[in-house]
Amino acid sequence: MSKRQLAMVIDLNKCIGCQTCTVACKTQWTNRNGREYMYWNNVETYPGTGYPKNWMELGGGFDTAGDLQPGIIPNLETDYGVPWDYNYDALLHGGSFEPNVEPTWGPNWDEDEGAGVFPQDNYFFYLPRICNHCTNPGCLSACPRDAIFKREEDGVVLVDLDRCQGYRYCIAGCPYKKIYFNPKISKSEKCILCFPRIEQGLPPACAQQCVGRTRFVGFLDDKDSQVYKLVHEYKVALGLRTDYGTQPNVYYVPPTESPAKFDANGKIIEGSTRLPIGELEKLFGENVHHAIRTLRSEMKKRQETGESELMDLLIAYQHQDMFRLDNNYYRKVAKDKGGYALAPVDTRYIAGKYTKESHTLYFTEDRDDDIKRHRK
Amino acid sequence: MKRVITALLAVCLTIAASVASEAAITAVRVGSDIKRVSYNSAIWKKAKFSDILLYPQTTIKMNDEKANGLNAENSVIRARAAAIYNGRDIAFMVRWPDDTVSVQRGDSLTSYPDGFAIMFAMDYSNPYKLPYIGMGSEGRPVVIHLQKAVRPFYEPNGHGDVYMQMNRNQTELFGKSLLRFDKRVKKLGSSDYERSFVSEGFRSMTEIKDGSNRSYARLSYRNKAWTGTLSCPMSDDYVNLHAGAIPVAFAVWDGAKMGRGGLKNLSGWLSVKLEDSAEGDMLINALDERSPGNPSVGKVAVAINGCAGCHQIESSDTPNFMGPALSNIGGYATEAYIRESLVDPSAVVVPGHNRNAHSAYKWYTEEGGRRVSTMTDYSKLDEKTINDIVAYLQTLKAKEE
Repeated sequence: MSKRQLAMVIDLNKCIGCQTCTVACKTQWTNRNGREYMYWNNVETYPGTGYPKNWMELGGGFDTAGDLQPGIIPNLETDYGVPWDYNYDALLHGGSFEPNVEPTWGPNWDEDEGAGVFPQDNYFFYLPRICNHCTNPGCLSACPRDAIFKREEDGVVLVDLDRCQGYRYCIAGCPYKKIYFNPKISKSEKCILCFPRIEQGLPPACAQQCVGRTRFVGFLDDKDSQVYKLVHEYKVALGLRTDYGTQPNVYYVPPTESPAKFDANGKIIEGSTRLPIGELEKLFGENVHHAIRTLRSEMKKRQETGESELMDLLIAYQHQDMFRLDNNYYRKVAKDKGGYALAPVDTRYIAGKYTKESHTLYFTEDRDDDIKRHRK
Repeated sequence: MKRVITALLAVCLTIAASVASEAAITAVRVGSDIKRVSYNSAIWKKAKFSDILLYPQTTIKMNDEKANGLNAENSVIRARAAAIYNGRDIAFMVRWPDDTVSVQRGDSLTSYPDGFAIMFAMDYSNPYKLPYIGMGSEGRPVVIHLQKAVRPFYEPNGHGDVYMQMNRNQTELFGKSLLRFDKRVKKLGSSDYERSFVSEGFRSMTEIKDGSNRSYARLSYRNKAWTGTLSCPMSDDYVNLHAGAIPVAFAVWDGAKMGRGGLKNLSGWLSVKLEDSAEGDMLINALDERSPGNPSVGKVAVAINGCAGCHQIESSDTPNFMGPALSNIGGYATEAYIRESLVDPSAVVVPGHNRNAHSAYKWYTEEGGRRVSTMTDYSKLDEKTINDIVAYLQTLKAKEE
């Protein structure tokens, strides 16, 4: 466990599935060679196949005894889908508009399909997913090379690309399949919780761009943070599939409200609800009952008295109130480290015990000097 | 009676030591430059080829379900190996059968390359305390040269050229300038997946990237077999191979079986005799040593002493996570290593799984920064039993197909 832990809370009652977070992440990080198929942030329709296809059935994570479970590495063609593009150039010369590969699968292939029979009892909700920056990461435990590390200072889980040799055991070990293999560089890559932004006091791109104001970001030990209040005080934000044993640090306010079902004649069935509680239990565990009770009672309280701190929090009147990133903390960390930024490489291996200086010193030495050396 | 046995044993050991064993590979001295020797160099005609056996890595079970299935029934690979040297450089050739060519592609998430590696011990002055065969051990580092069959791929580290990592469709370029962009990206792609590492155990393996070592490795596939060659200096910042005989180990990967780190076939430490030196017998004998014990008595002793409580003895045993699995220990460990592990379990603590992967099974504790094995110290056993156990463990290895 790290000294501190950054966490995200995503309010599923407010997520409209607009994919702005997905686009924010993609344009920020995954538009480069080999990353085209990666969605460090994706929003999938639940129930649905998700991304990669049926990720919940691909193994990884820990059993109750604490043993890492074997897993399966998804395939680009069938499980993720080969990303396609169009021949814009050809259009200039009168060609026809064609995709470069026949699209057969991709993220959100089954968007908005959900489950049930329309119009009687069909239902779905959106499930935005990023790396959970787990307290007990399956990917980290699976790596035989110590190429994955969890930052002591904020619990962000990173791949040390310098050490990674592309074995892909991490992908088998992650039960959320939120670590991806970049075939162009033969290394694994994943959500970095936008650490370069966070260190400057800016929220991750996905959270900043969220038009529904669904995402809260802060330190779990910061009692003034919304994250703390939602997770520990009101206990309305719950980890996803905590039964995998990785102790995820992205929490979800479960969807509480769904419309009533219709009978065969199209009449409302009073008291019915489309969203089966069993599905929520599967995703968020037993505590989902308590969370839903709290949310409902606070909603009622708000309706009756006009007062509810929880409702005010979840409404998020000011977007900036959703983030408590404590830039001063990162400044202090940097100062304690002698003015250096937090290294995106595992400092245990900056230079191997027997290797001499390596280019990874770039992250720890005086930057100006080093940049000069690089330009030489 | 006991004294008689001890005396007899002493005699046996003396005889064993006085009869020089054959080196696994005899390196032939050549006059010409071998710095850039390759698989098709004529100089290999002068080399003496020997058979070497490569055993499946079963010490640790990896967590890839599909790959574990493909590798469950792995047998021994018989390879041919030779060495040549000229006093300044030394070169190795290894030729191993493989029915399929597997080349790692830049457009697949599930393609794995064939390849080979050659490992040297940084310190082999005491051949009874060589580094652990699984890429060295704490305080006993090794240097590893790795060559894999990988299509050109793009290496961003070291270049820091973020612009060239951009998706071509997201550049502002069109037509000819876009083609120029593609060419530049291709040029930046490294075409040769050759790596050198320093390692004190698999987890700690660190690539040498500062140019402080030199090596030249080549790989070629012909007639259902791969031929790999490696040339490197006999002495550099990391190793000194000027000796009568040196310990060398080989490993090969099969991409068709999703082979990669941890899923490979490897030899034990093999002695390479440098032909113009009269020395090196001690190392050759040490690597060739067989325990004087009785394997079938040893098998009983292993059962009595409860070794299977923590170690998987045969591959059919229940999987466990605590001790390293021993099903191929006789294939790739030396007699001295097995003996040392019995009587001084903390001398080498196998750098196995991340401890967190099986948190209920801690195979070592850390005391004052030093790893202390949780295994019982079996130096309490009498010498005969130890010999028997070692003799039995030396028989544990996969068979040839």
